Order: sequence, then structure tokens, then C-alpha cells
Amino acid sequence: MDKIWVILKREYITRVKNKMFIIMTLLGPILIALFYGGIFLVATQDASDKKIRHALFKDNNGFFADKLDSFDNYKFKTTTLAKSEALKKVSSGEYDSYLEINDKELQTIDSIDWVSKKTLSLLQSEKLGNLLASKVYKTRLQNIGLSKGKIDSLKPAASVHTIEIDENGGLKNSSSMAKSGIGIFLAFVVYMFIFIYGSMIMRSTLEEKTNRIVEVVISSVKPFQLMMGKILGVALVGLTQFAAWIVLSLGFITVISAVIGGKMIETAQKLPTGMPGPGAALSKNAAGGQMLEVFSNLPYGQIIVIFLIFFLGGFLLYSSMFAAIGSAANQETDTQQFMLPISLPLVFGIVIAQTTVFQDPHGPMAKIFSLIPFTSPILMVVRSPFGIPWSEVALSALILIATFVFFVWMTGRIYRIGILMYGKKPTWRELGKWIFRKN
Amino acid sequence: MSIILETREVCKTYGSSKAADHISLQIPQGSIYGLLGPNGAGKTTLIRMLTTITKPDTGLILFKGEPLQENHASRMGYMPEERGLYKKMSVLDQLLFFAEIKGVKPQQAKITAKKWLARLDMQTWENKKIEELSKGMAQKVQFLTTIIHNPEFIILDEPFSGFDPVNADLIKDLILELNKNGATLLFSTHRMDNVEELCDYLCIVDHGQVKLNGEAGGLRRKMFKNQYEVGYLKSVSFLEDYLQPISSVQTADGRNIYTFQLQNSSEVEILLSLATKKGDLIHFSEALPTIHQIFVDTIKNNSNG
Repeated sequence: MDKIWVILKREYITRVKNKMFIIMTLLGPILIALFYGGIFLVATQDASDKKIRHALFKDNNGFFADKLDSFDNYKFKTTTLAKSEALKKVSSGEYDSYLEINDKELQTIDSIDWVSKKTLSLLQSEKLGNLLASKVYKTRLQNIGLSKGKIDSLKPAASVHTIEIDENGGLKNSSSMAKSGIGIFLAFVVYMFIFIYGSMIMRSTLEEKTNRIVEVVISSVKPFQLMMGKILGVALVGLTQFAAWIVLSLGFITVISAVIGGKMIETAQKLPTGMPGPGAALSKNAAGGQMLEVFSNLPYGQIIVIFLIFFLGGFLLYSSMFAAIGSAANQETDTQQFMLPISLPLVFGIVIAQTTVFQDPHGPMAKIFSLIPFTSPILMVVRSPFGIPWSEVALSALILIATFVFFVWMTGRIYRIGILMYGKKPTWRELGKWIFRKN
Repeated sequence: MSIILETREVCKTYGSSKAADHISLQIPQGSIYGLLGPNGAGKTTLIRMLTTITKPDTGLILFKGEPLQENHASRMGYMPEERGLYKKMSVLDQLLFFAEIKGVKPQQAKITAKKWLARLDMQTWENKKIEELSKGMAQKVQFLTTIIHNPEFIILDEPFSGFDPVNADLIKDLILELNKNGATLLFSTHRMDNVEELCDYLCIVDHGQVKLNGEAGGLRRKMFKNQYEVGYLKSVSFLEDYLQPISSVQTADGRNIYTFQLQNSSEVEILLSLATKKGDLIHFSEALPTIHQIFVDTIKNNSNG
């Protein structure tokens, strides 16, 4: 245990003193803020073409009582030209597109043709479909005798307000959006840390091996102690960085809200009321309060416990594999062959995490992958803001811990042989043999 | 004479190759012991077992009479042939780390480290990172990491390879000093001049087997083949004589040395009287085989047989 401590101390101190680490720790929150800000900007920016385009519209059977005049950046001109004539105008470039409704019956409309040089994007064709459907719907309503004004007044606007109820009947505002956001953010943190710090362990093992330092070290420290000391030391570096980021981010947010927060409230109050948006129905203060309440209602205790258990568990599981790879390789390029199979489950985990969190964070898919130890560190973390029964957390954690103990034993056996093996790159079969070889 | 380290019938097999084949040897306490052998003879395998890095398949290793255990390793110092240090660590931190993994308390380690750095005039370097040092400087640090915990038994694999002559002499002096203060040293090398100069005992291994071992002087006498040397300042001719030299060399300082192969010791007197007649005799001695000759003969016989 003493020896593990000495190794851990060395790994920790040399890494924490490293200039790159200090810079990344200080700049991290800013980079993350910029990164998320960038994503937010891209996501909210309208990336579509702003240029006005002209389209010919031919309604063969006169379905549209209401005039169809525009859609996105398209302006429609109703035409009675023959199809071939209209198409000529499009191909010559006089018009950009041609829209034709061929259906004879109003009951089903599924024969709509959009002809253009450039195909519509998925989003636009869905939008156009919705637009046409609503026009047809209006026409039908008018056909049964409703006036145009009446139809417009009947049009509903709906937004769902999600509230959670607990065993005692207490009600809490909640937001799936906020939960998904936090869940995915934390899952990415786990994913990135496992990759960045895992490969750090791999490189450091490889460096010790190629430098032959390892021979001196393991004449006084058991290979297993060396491996564990290294893994725990690096895990601690990761936690240190994460803790520093949290503290810095909180400080950052406090400073920023103190400086520009006041200004923003001022501008917000000057804005005309009744602006369209999710909070339009509520007064400004209530909307802000609701958002605050959503964040304060998250199960932070559970999120933190789950994050710590599964971040550490997942990190230990994967980094033991990274260490084994580093020990088996003779140079950096040797590691690639072994990297793929261990990174696949991790990448798979993050993909599953993104689908389940938006569809059903408590569904069977989420539950199954939360029990598989290779994906559970990501799945459990992504689901944590939605609240997971403690029994499920305990079961998943037990499986993860058992697997990681088994893997540390197994990779430790590979490591102990690997660090003393020079020469050609071992095969998977040889790695398997090393597990059972005696010292 | 007490024995600090002993191996009894130690065997180690890797796949189908026998890296150690019933190796039995005794290393006397306070000696400088030379472990010789061509590349791939099993020296590294043996050293790894002595330093508890690996365990023998069969056989026994005793450290001061007790079966070798991992905690014995903290009383040993080991410098492998291929040197390496943590490049990003400072000299002092490096020394402290290697002392601490050998179980030395941090405060004690610091005192010893400072003492050694002062001894080698390296105090001003203690906060420099290894990557900032010259190669010779880094090698001195490497040597210090091996002895920083004051080991009783020091294993040096090719200790002089890569050192410039000045540093090599410095290390040689340190080795002799450590030995005088009671440390036992094991050299693994194929540089025979160092062995001749430093080693009290030697052991030649090949194909995982001990081919020859014992006290260095005794071995040379044991391998003595009745060869004698005669030396003059001028060159002389033995063409007409009953005894013919098997070789003649002119040394750099102008002496002419003739080596004779005698049938038995009764011929010594004949050779001496012959030699005195030829001119001013300045040298007459037994030609004990050099360690180099012993090594080459042993390995050759081994591969022939």
C-alpha cells in the first residue's frame, strides 16, 4: 500500500505541476463555454438560404381555397400552364421550382411533386408537407361551412408544462430539456476524461517501458502496485481538474452575472410584452422563476453520487485496459490495433446515451445498457438527472465494480509480463496466454 | 567468508528456450563479482530473478541465508544496461522517488540525496529536469538513483557503457569506495578490462548454464597452460634453438615479448638459461591467461562441445 502511495504521489505531482495541465485547467471553463456557445449559435442560427426564390404552383383540381403564396424563401405564383411548359421554365432558370398537386380526391393527398434543380432539405420538405396539409385541412373545414375567421380563431397553441409529483404528493417543476442537457453534458465529461486520461496512462506506461525505467521500478515495486498507483494517481488528476473547473466556472458565472446580469434584466424589461416564445403566456418573472426552479429541483445529490461512482468505476475499468495496451506495445503505433476494440463500447455508449435520453430515459434499452459495465458509466450518468431508483444504481454499480476488479486482475497479469517484453508486437492470443503465465 | 546471495539449481524457461538451466552460484559478501557471458546467455534472466522481478520455475535463491523475498529487493540497487529516467522530473525529485520506492523515509532520502549531489558537485543541478541535462550528467544521476538507499547488494549491468573516460573513472572510484564500505557488487558485462581490474570473483554463463565460476586469481591459475613470457629491449632470434616461441609481440614501449609453450614445469629452467644467453633479459614470467582468454576459451569449448 505504501508503494502504491509513492507511485500515486509521483504520478499526481508531476502531472499537476505540468504547464499544459495548469493552462488547460485555467482555460478549460472558457473553452467549454466557447464550445457550448458555438454549438448553441450554430443550432439556433438559421442556416437556410435567404435568397428569394420563385416557384410555379399548379393546383390541378383546385383544392386550395386559400391562396398559397409563400413558404420559407419561396414565393409561389399560381399557374395554369401545361406541365411540360412549366418544367421548361424551371429548367431554363426562369423559375426555381415547380409544385404540382395531382390528387383527384380531397380525402388523401399523397401525390405532390416538387421539381427543382436543387433538392429540398429534409427539414424543408417536412415543413412544406405540413404547410400543404394545414392548407388542405382549412379547405376541408371551409367545405363543411366554417368561415375563414372562425377557422383562424379555433387554431390552438399548446405548450406542455412538465411537473413531477413525489410520493408525498409534492409538486415540482421539471424540464426534460434541462435534464437531457445536463445528462448529456456529464456523459460527455465521463467519455472525454476516460479517453484523455486513459490514453495518458497508456502513454506513460509505454514511456516507462521504452525508457527501461520500469525495470528499476519493478525491482522494488510489484507491477500491480505500479499499475494501480498510476491509475489512481491519474484518476485523482482528472478529479482535480474537474473540481477546479467547477469552482472556476461558478466563479466565472458569478462574475459575469454580476457584470452583465444587471444590464440584461434592464433590456429584458424594455422588450415589448407578448413576444412569441415558450414563456409568452407567463409573465417574465414567472418564466425566469420557473427555469430557476427546474434547476434547483434536479436531484443533485443523486447526480453527484452517480457521477462519482460511475466516473471512477468507468475510468478504472477502461484505464486498466489502456495500461495493459501500453505495457504490451513497443511503440505508439503498436497501440492502434488494440485501441479500437476498447474504444468501440465507449463510443457505442455515447450513441445509446443520446438516443435513449431523448426517447425514454427509463425504457428497456436504457436499463439494459445501464447494467452492462462497459456502457453503464455513460448511461447511468446521462440518466442521473431524471432520477434513477437507488436499487438500480446499486445493482449497476455492483456489476461495474465486480467487472473492474476482474479486469484490473486480468490486465495486471498482462501488464506484469508486457512491461518486460521487448521485440515484436504481441498478438491477442499472446496477451491471452500472458494472463495465465506464472511469474 | 559469508555468502550474501546464493542460487541453487535455479531454472527458468521461456517457451522452449532455457534461459536459466540449473544455475548454482555463490556470491561472497563484500566481493566484486563479475557475471560474464555473450549476448543471450541468460544474464538478464538471472539478474531479474535476483532482483525479484521474476521468480525461478524451480530452484532456490537465498539472500543472506533466507529464501529471497520481495522485501530483500529494497536492500539491493539495480542499474540496468539500458538507462532511463523520468525526463520531466527534476534531479532531486527523481532521487527522492527512487529512494522512497525502496522504503526510505522522505526526510532521510532528502538528506542522503543532498549529500550525494554535493559529493559529485551537482548541487546546482538539483532542480533541473533530466531532459535539460547532458548525457554524462544524466548517467551520474542514474548511478545515484541506484545507490541512493545505501544498498548492501548492488547489481550493475554494463556499468561503464556510454560513460566518457572521466565519468567512467569517477564511477569506478565510487564503486571501489562503496565496496570498501561493505557493499557487495555484481557486474554483468562483456568488457573484460573492467573485470580484470575490479572483480574478485567471476562467473561465465552461456546457454543458461554456468560454464565456469570461482575466485578470479584462482581461475587464472587453474587455466594456466604452462606458458611463459620472455622479454628483451632488442629483438632476438630463437630459430636455432630447442625451444621455439609460439608468439612474439613488440609492445608500444619497445619491449619484445616472446611466449613459449612448455611441456611441463621442468622445462622452466631450460628456458631461463636459454633466455639469459640471448641478451639483456628484462622480463621473465608465467603467462597467466587473461580473463578475456578464459572467456573466449570457455565459450568456444562450449560451442564446440
